[in-house]
Amino acid sequence: MNAESPDTQLIALIDRVALADESALKELYEMTSSKLYGVAVRVVSNKGWAEDVLQEAFINIWRIAGDYKASLSPPMAWMCLIVRSRGLDFLRRRRSDRADAVQELDDVLSDTLEGDSANPMDTALAGEQAWALHQCLSQLDNKQREVVSLAYLRDLSHGELAEQLKLPLGTVKTWIRRGLEQLRGCMSRFA
Amino acid sequence: MNLTRNPSLTEQLAASYALGTLRGGARRRFEALARTHASVRAAALIWQGRLASVSELQSQEAPSPAVWKRIENLVNADRQARAMQAARQAPAAVSGAGWWASLGLWRGVSAAGAMAAVVAVITGLNLNTQLDGQVQALSAKLAATPEIRYVAVLADDKSAPSVLVTYDPKHSQLQLKHVGEFHPAPDKSLQLWALPQAGGPRSLGVLGEGMVVRLPAGTGDVNQVPALAISLEAKGGVPFGSGPNGPVLFKGALLQTAL
Repeated sequence: MNAESPDTQLIALIDRVALADESALKELYEMTSSKLYGVAVRVVSNKGWAEDVLQEAFINIWRIAGDYKASLSPPMAWMCLIVRSRGLDFLRRRRSDRADAVQELDDVLSDTLEGDSANPMDTALAGEQAWALHQCLSQLDNKQREVVSLAYLRDLSHGELAEQLKLPLGTVKTWIRRGLEQLRGCMSRFA
Repeated sequence: MNLTRNPSLTEQLAASYALGTLRGGARRRFEALARTHASVRAAALIWQGRLASVSELQSQEAPSPAVWKRIENLVNADRQARAMQAARQAPAAVSGAGWWASLGLWRGVSAAGAMAAVVAVITGLNLNTQLDGQVQALSAKLAATPEIRYVAVLADDKSAPSVLVTYDPKHSQLQLKHVGEFHPAPDKSLQLWALPQAGGPRSLGVLGEGMVVRLPAGTGDVNQVPALAISLEAKGGVPFGSGPNGPVLFKGALLQTAL
């Protein structure tokens, strides 16, 4: 039956996970782990760490699936948010453990911005709202899109972005301001 | 300048707020406005929802198969721990023997204390091979016994103890026990916050229903955190990244246990 939307399937699985159904957790993992691992890699920018983050996120989902009912988010957005939170926690823990963690991030980040080949966007499993954002982000300049995405995914301030991307602070501020202005104009058409 | 009469500026600030680039005093002023003006709050929520989709648009990549294996093991351990917890809370159902009921007393004792008790009981039981099954059950119980590293008593504004919080690093879990009479209205949720020395409150999760609530938490979530607080929020709590919107009902110092 293809009549079931991915969202409906995911919600049904999360409901079963809330009842401690392990086979549902496995199905949920099979459907979403590649997507969520991709998010984790972007947040922590290290594949080994991203695996730890994905693991923590799924244990989290296993324990708090019952709370999903109270959330108004689409299922994929809810799970992505959990992965991002666990990823940011992971980075915070690491930063307090090891001072050189930021250095490792730097290298990956400057690679990301080199040239004009931006990270391709992927709409697999994306909800309706994500489609709208995809349309609007596509209209941004590659670098603008990348800086806006990284600011959100890694919860970075203008100063931190400038430092990590080795860009002048003014440039970062301008890209973000213009990027958000363009998004604002574009997203209002989808409201 | 009246922000609520300037929708375009409101939108701009709401977008930077949700993106996370609005920081410091500007962020606190925006939060204060959002608490008093529904239109500002609505704009912030809309932008939080929109930008949350940034995560959904990232490229896919298959994780190593080992990750699922690790998750599966942890989930199994979690199930066992829950089953043991249930067994401990209904001791009479486990065995008809009267002495078994005293195991209920184990609740709350430290892992070290439990260890000594198990060694003593096992020594006694080994005399009788028929009791092997019970020895196994006891060993499993020991594995499930929480280790308590942090404890906090959260009190209300009249200093009456309301919530007892313990942190178990072995199971990466916070346990909250309501000891007061307070229950949120059906359209409200209680949310637990870490109050670190520097920076704003960090959410540790939204409390589910029941007298005892468990929330997953890494040691990094509670290390170096001098105090915890619980706020009253709209159902489901506030989204990640924002501070508490509602009033703080209970708070208290987080203390490391002597163990």
